[in-house]
Amino acid sequence: MAYLATFFWGWLLTSLLLGFAMGWIAVVHRGPAVSRRLALWLSVLVAALLAAALARIVPGRYGYWLDLGLIMFALYLIGCAIGSWLRDWVVSRGLPRA
Amino acid sequence: MHGLFRWSSKWWPGVIPLVVFWAFAAWTSTIPLETDLAARSNAALKDTVLDKQRISVLGRDVGLSAEAFSEEGRLHAVGSVAAVPGVRLVNDNTRLVPEAKPFVWSAERDVARVTLGGSAPLPASKTRLLETARNALGGVEVADQMSLARGAPPRFDNAAALLIDQIAKLKDGKITLSDTKVSLAGMARELGGREAIAAALRNLPEGFSVAANDIKAPPYVFQAYKDPVASTLTLTGNVPDNNVHAALVANAGRKFFSEKVVDNLKASVGAPAGFAQAVVPALGALSRLSTGTLVVSDREVKLSGDALYDAAAQQIRAGLGKDFPQGWQFKAEISVKPQPSAVDATVCQQLFADLLTKARIRFESGSAELSQDSLGLLDRLTETAMRCPNANIEIAGHTDADGDPAANQALSEKRAQTVMDFLVRAGLPANRFTAVGYGASQPLAGNDTDEGKAQNRRIDFVVK
Repeated sequence: MAYLATFFWGWLLTSLLLGFAMGWIAVVHRGPAVSRRLALWLSVLVAALLAAALARIVPGRYGYWLDLGLIMFALYLIGCAIGSWLRDWVVSRGLPRA
Repeated sequence: MHGLFRWSSKWWPGVIPLVVFWAFAAWTSTIPLETDLAARSNAALKDTVLDKQRISVLGRDVGLSAEAFSEEGRLHAVGSVAAVPGVRLVNDNTRLVPEAKPFVWSAERDVARVTLGGSAPLPASKTRLLETARNALGGVEVADQMSLARGAPPRFDNAAALLIDQIAKLKDGKITLSDTKVSLAGMARELGGREAIAAALRNLPEGFSVAANDIKAPPYVFQAYKDPVASTLTLTGNVPDNNVHAALVANAGRKFFSEKVVDNLKASVGAPAGFAQAVVPALGALSRLSTGTLVVSDREVKLSGDALYDAAAQQIRAGLGKDFPQGWQFKAEISVKPQPSAVDATVCQQLFADLLTKARIRFESGSAELSQDSLGLLDRLTETAMRCPNANIEIAGHTDADGDPAANQALSEKRAQTVMDFLVRAGLPANRFTAVGYGASQPLAGNDTDEGKAQNRRIDFVVK
């Protein structure tokens, strides 16, 4: 994993920043949300993909692309979480003052 | 935490650019990653001995196909690649190098090249054998047709290297090593090569043995050419050693009293047994010819040329083979030289005197038996006697003054009679000759020195 991280750290950082930006926006975003049901299905899909990656059943380049996608997605989620939490913190700190 | 869950329902729009980035990342990083993993995998296998090693990388999966020389080596190779950072899976297509039974290795030499074939146990030993061959063979082309196989006997490399040294001693031939048995066939490059190879094979590593040694040596050739025009006897070819060399040249000097001996002999090992015992009488036969060539090739003696008269030709044809050691063959192509023109008695006397000043008729010490060294001279005396058919000739025997005068007298008579018998056997009428013994009564020189005595011991031909 360390080897892979050194190999495409730029893309991982990009995913993290993208997630951070998305998380930052999401707190105050008024657009449509993913329904609970869809979110569940998506979680199941991601879990299945994760399981496939860990079991190493996807061969060759597809396997590598799956790993790459999952890592980027994981960092995106981390970025989102940090972004949302920070934005929430900034917003909630600003509210009493306003 | 509840907030995080709520916000996450709004995170999805970022997934769209994320997918685009993912596609870009996959597009740009796959080939460099595969190249890098291939290089690292190859580096990891650098110290592992494998044959036909091939690495193909798809994504993070490394396909390894190779032939290993032991199960341990095979597992080690797979493990080394699997341990390379970044490698996800190793698709193991390795197998063991096939086992050769029997384990056969060969070196074959022809006119143009030396071909190493059969099996070698390891790539390193294959390289080493090729290098040994190139060093041992100088500029000769070395072709490699060796394949790799398991199952070589212990100390194979040492045995094969020793055999490569032997192929260098061959003109053509093949050396085969089958498990621990060595078979050799072919022709040695030089005289003595066969013996040198046989000697070297005694140093084969423990456990190896010679199953068949059919190395042939080039023929051991000795030649002598008697040229009456240049008045030379040319000796060429091989002699077993310097002692035999000196003895042969000295012997030729005695037998060829009027020819200069040109000595181009060289000492070489590999002479057939009984070489000197065959060559000395053969040279004696050649000395009786007017012109002739003697070729001794291994154990075959060929004598061709012109005898001085019929009876001599017959004696040579019939007599020579008898003196040879067992196993020797004799082929004679003897013709008879035309009889020279007749001369009168005075010229005859002169011719006798000329011959007898060049050489003396020799006898075995203290006896009346003719020395074999004098047959050439006797043939010439006979030929001369045939040229003056009307002359009566006294064959006069003389001795030195040593010993009992009566014994000397008897010896001189017997020796004169022996010479006369020789002439009669050659076909001359007995009534033309008288054999007379003078003992020590007519010395040519003083009897006080060895040289003088030697001059006094003689047979004279006196035309009456």
